Amino acid sequence: MAKKIFSVTALLFLLLSSRAYCGWPTRPGRLIFSPSISYFTSSSDWDSVARRRVKANNGTFTSTSVNLYAEYGIVRKLAAYASLPYISYRLRDSINAPISKSGLGDAELGLKYYLANINYKYYFTLQGTAVIPMYKTQGLGYAQPGGELRLGFSGAGKLGSKFFSLSLENGVRKYFGENGPLQDRYSASFGITLDRKFHDQLTAGVSGIVSTSSFTAFTRNIFTARDYEFTQVSLSYGHTFNSSFSMFLTASQFVVGRNTGIGTNGAVALIYKIDNFLGKRVDY
Amino acid sequence: MFIPHKKSLIRQLTSAVILLLLSMQTAAVFAQDDEGEIVLTSTPAKKDAIFGANSSIVYSVNLENKFDSKQTGTVGYRVLTLADKEVTKNAVNVSISKKSSKSLTLRIPEQAAGFYKVQFTVNFPEYDDTVRRVFGVDPTQIKSENSKPADFDSFWEKTLEELSKVEPNFKVEELPDSSRDNRRVFSIEMKSLGNLTVRGWMTLPNTKNSRKKFPVLLGLPGYQVDLKPMFGTDEDLAIVVLNVRGQGNSRDRIRTLRDDYIFTGLEDKNRYIMRGAIMDCVRMVDFIFSREELDHDNIMVSGGSMGGFLSIATASLDHRIKLCSAQNPILCDVKALPGKVVWPLRDFSRYIRVNRGLTMDKLLDNLSYFDTKNFATNIKCPTIMGIGLLDHLAPPDNEYTAFNNLQVKKHMIVFRDLGHEVAVFYKDYEGRWMRDTFALF
Repeated sequence: MAKKIFSVTALLFLLLSSRAYCGWPTRPGRLIFSPSISYFTSSSDWDSVARRRVKANNGTFTSTSVNLYAEYGIVRKLAAYASLPYISYRLRDSINAPISKSGLGDAELGLKYYLANINYKYYFTLQGTAVIPMYKTQGLGYAQPGGELRLGFSGAGKLGSKFFSLSLENGVRKYFGENGPLQDRYSASFGITLDRKFHDQLTAGVSGIVSTSSFTAFTRNIFTARDYEFTQVSLSYGHTFNSSFSMFLTASQFVVGRNTGIGTNGAVALIYKIDNFLGKRVDY
Repeated sequence: MFIPHKKSLIRQLTSAVILLLLSMQTAAVFAQDDEGEIVLTSTPAKKDAIFGANSSIVYSVNLENKFDSKQTGTVGYRVLTLADKEVTKNAVNVSISKKSSKSLTLRIPEQAAGFYKVQFTVNFPEYDDTVRRVFGVDPTQIKSENSKPADFDSFWEKTLEELSKVEPNFKVEELPDSSRDNRRVFSIEMKSLGNLTVRGWMTLPNTKNSRKKFPVLLGLPGYQVDLKPMFGTDEDLAIVVLNVRGQGNSRDRIRTLRDDYIFTGLEDKNRYIMRGAIMDCVRMVDFIFSREELDHDNIMVSGGSMGGFLSIATASLDHRIKLCSAQNPILCDVKALPGKVVWPLRDFSRYIRVNRGLTMDKLLDNLSYFDTKNFATNIKCPTIMGIGLLDHLAPPDNEYTAFNNLQVKKHMIVFRDLGHEVAVFYKDYEGRWMRDTFALF
């Protein structure tokens, strides 16, 4: 009678569990906590008309970012999230003294609303985010508050003998103040399971930013560039240790762009999920 | 389904002769005539064979001539009600070259809302065949001609009140040796209506999260099915199953012959076996509410056949159920069953024969207090149903009387080529729908 129910629901659950926090609605009472670290390096740039050029004087730009992300499902349709980055970057070349800066970057606070679904298979969410600078010194960001509205679409299903997940997102972000850029931030990813128990997953992705501002000069520091665009491709390996802990390793490469550095990125993200986080203990 | 006629008989006889001759090592030449057949495949224009009102019923028919010679004959259809009353028929001449196929479109005139049997026939000099299917027309307009008893609701209110006076005396025991799939197993025992003891099982995922509460899937049994603990790799769901009185491990005081269960006590609606069986299901919901580790806000009830009937009855009487899934529920529009199904009418007739003064009308009057369509009107939670158009126990038009009585968010999945069962697609959809409703993202 009902035996088949369980295998099917389990498959979907496990597939979803290996996805992070983008696109999907969030389970009420669930806390998702995700620390991540990423390393970025760039030794060449695209100029304002997208011509590739090596940075002057063998220059390089490198940065390491540590990001703490948390998300909590408030009710079935609403979740809150916050992120806090710590940034450390270094600009150097063969002539000038290196420039380094470290500190908190732009914190983000937001709400995610579950809009609709198609056959309980594909989900639409809408996110509203406030961007709050957490620094006073120049160089760690625009030092301007901002706001973003993002539409997410996610789904999962079967593809032959494998299971897939996909995610499409597009957000429009505006920083407020002088020369505050208007940005379109987009991403698309497609993941496929590598084993029958959904422990391993490979995800290919494309993402990028189109940023426009009245301040159009090239800026060596990617955190303060205002008028630029790039698209990067990424490959990510995800491993789920159990239903509450998974890890993602991601490598990405900028492939097209304008007025910004040509970057290579590597990142490690850990994802913890704790259900009924604020509930009372149960005596089993 | 294919029902071979005279060709089949010829084939069987020929096969027997061939086998005999083979054994005498004189085979070969006799096999040639037996290799021909004309294979008929029918495909409705609508995927689930449900057509709209005021539109033709269109089928694409493919004929494959496997004979080594040209075949000339007729292809036709015959439409009948589910009670086998002929509605319309037609046939066309057709000839097919040897070893070839031919497709044609058959248009059946528009019909009133309802379900109809259709027989596609091929009649050729050397081969006859019939393919039987069922199609529906505008089924959301189907309404029962039989009203709900005026005291239906009060009958069940009194029954629930009677149950509430029985101390449940829940007994739960963990069975560590039965644990598997990372799930703990518990046996459940409790007192239900009439102070009868009924039993069930619960399996819970192992977890280190002491704050976790598990949404519940309450699985209800089919006719004379002995449910065992249910497992699986789902880490979110508690799975509770119940063996209602007289079934599985709940056969202490009620122990009927398999065929007798359906009419046990039916001469009196207050003594009918299903009255207690439904209360056993409500009592299991009481059990779920007695457990701290179970999520009382997210309970789904699900079952097939008699389990589908029990699911709808339980969701109707106990609004603590938040989601109802019924596959091929039996006992829908019971007064419209005679003439359409053999079971359980044949057993009812048998019961009447040995009970002086009892009539079929009286039985069906009593049974209308247990009619799935009558329970459906009181359901308050979203409900999904699955039916097979070839179901010989739960005819599709009867099923739709229950579905159309649902006044809640509902979804029907129709399987045009299935009988008393649903396909994996149903379970897949049900699982996704449950996870969404219970916010198990």
